[in-house]
Parts: sequence; C-alpha cells; structure tokens
Amino acid sequence: MVILFRIDDRLIHAQVVVGWGRRLKPDRIVLADDLVNAEDWEKELYASAAEPDFKATVLSLAEAVEQISGGVFSSEKIFLLVRGPAEALEMLEMGLTTNEINVGGLHFREGREKITDNVWVDEGERETLRDIVKKGITLEARTLPGDKRITINSKVV
Amino acid sequence: MTEKDITGIIVTHGQLGEELLRTVGLIIGEVHDCYALSGSDLGDEQVVKSIREIRDRNNAKNIVVFVDYFGGSCGISCVKAARGLEGVKVISGVNLPILLDFVTKQGTMGLDEIVDHLIHRGQESVRVIEL
Repeated sequence: MVILFRIDDRLIHAQVVVGWGRRLKPDRIVLADDLVNAEDWEKELYASAAEPDFKATVLSLAEAVEQISGGVFSSEKIFLLVRGPAEALEMLEMGLTTNEINVGGLHFREGREKITDNVWVDEGERETLRDIVKKGITLEARTLPGDKRITINSKVV
Repeated sequence: MTEKDITGIIVTHGQLGEELLRTVGLIIGEVHDCYALSGSDLGDEQVVKSIREIRDRNNAKNIVVFVDYFGGSCGISCVKAARGLEGVKVISGVNLPILLDFVTKQGTMGLDEIVDHLIHRGQESVRVIEL
C-alpha cells in the first residue's frame, strides 16, 4: 500500500528518509525512475541513502506500476518517489491510482517559476501538473510532514 | 603542487559548512585550500559544477570532499561529482576534529593516508567524556 506518493527531484535524501520516514515509518521506499534504474552504481547509491532505516527498491516507472498495481507490496507500507511531474503522470497513465500526490521538492532551476519555497516549475511541468489535477488528484506541497498543508491545485490550473 | 597538496571542499546542508570553516579559522587562523558550499541551496548539477570549478581553478590534483550526512542530497551530489575523477575522495560525517586535522596536516601525507587518518580521527572524537 502506497502511504506517500511524492515528487522530489532530489529522490532519496535526508528529508525523505529522516524527515518523512521517521514520522510515517514506511516498510520500504520505492524509487521509480528510468534514469537511475538504468545505472547500477546509481541504484546502489540511492538505495544506500535509505539504509539502514528502510528497505529500498529502485524500479523503472513501468516496473513500479506493474508491481504496485499487481499487489507485490500489498503487505507493506510504501513511500513511492518520482523525480518530476512527467514521471508521476506517466505512471498514472500506465494505470497507477492515487487520490493525492505530495509535490515535495522541485527546486529552483533556470526557467522555473516559484509556486512555493520548495516547488518551482517550468511551463511544461505546470501543464503536466494541470493534467494530473484534471484526473481529480489533490496536489499538496508539504516539504516535511509537520509543515502546514498547502494544496496547490489552484496554482497550476 | 606535490601529491601531498590536497584541496578540501566541504559540502553540507544549510550553512553548516561555511560555519565549520569559519570556526576552523577562529581556532587556527587563516585557512588555505579549503572551501565550503551549501549543497541544500544548490541542485545536483550545480554541486557537481561547483566542485569541478574549484578543482580546475586551483589546478587541484588531490581533493577531499567532506559531506555532513551519508545518504543526504549533498553526499549524493558529491559522489556524482567525484565519480570518474582521479584523486578525489568523499568522506561523510564531517566534524570539527576532522577539519582541524585536515587543515593542519595538509601537505604531510598522501591522499589515501590522510583520508584514513581523518576517518580515524573523526570516529575517535565521538566518545563519552569521563567525569
């Protein structure tokens, strides 16, 4: 069961493992990312960032949808992480279902405009988030679990 | 430049690195060949770029990159920056004793030797103080 579906361009890092992990106590962190999944050294690097606190699995986007939808993790509480809106939308279009996505970290980069302190998007990313909102999904933008809950649906439509 | 000339780069969350370096300066005076950057203010590519810029600007053959937290974004960015480069080592868990030893022993040891020394120093500096 996915207890947190998060967009974070830093993927597995201290805010995720310590900030969210120690609060929500997942059984496993699943990183769904085609780029990381293609490089063994990078898979190991990100998996080691989750350990020793949590089990970690790196999968391609397609594998993650297949395994989550297929019930591979049905007995576990899962954090699902993707790097950007495009990856999240791709997984939804492959059949993943969710009511809410935590847009937790899209950091400043040339060409991105600010939505919150930790969420910056370019025009393409804003359109992608809009497409996600059209599927009836709530986009909430806490960086950390104790932050004030902000919904950003109205800022991307 | 000899093989014992080693450049230090501290990459941390927040301003920890700058403050550590400033504190080292308070204790030993002016610090050379050691730099600090805030990884949490920069993206992955920018950390990689900054480390490579420091390397090129100083014509540094040997570099120790110090990061604050194993598994943090700074550490991951630094591994990406160091990967494929000769003469670059990344140490996690930086603390003040490690940095004081680094800046005072720079030039007396080769890269592998100083890295072993610094890790030992950092580990033995964490202890219960007998009362």
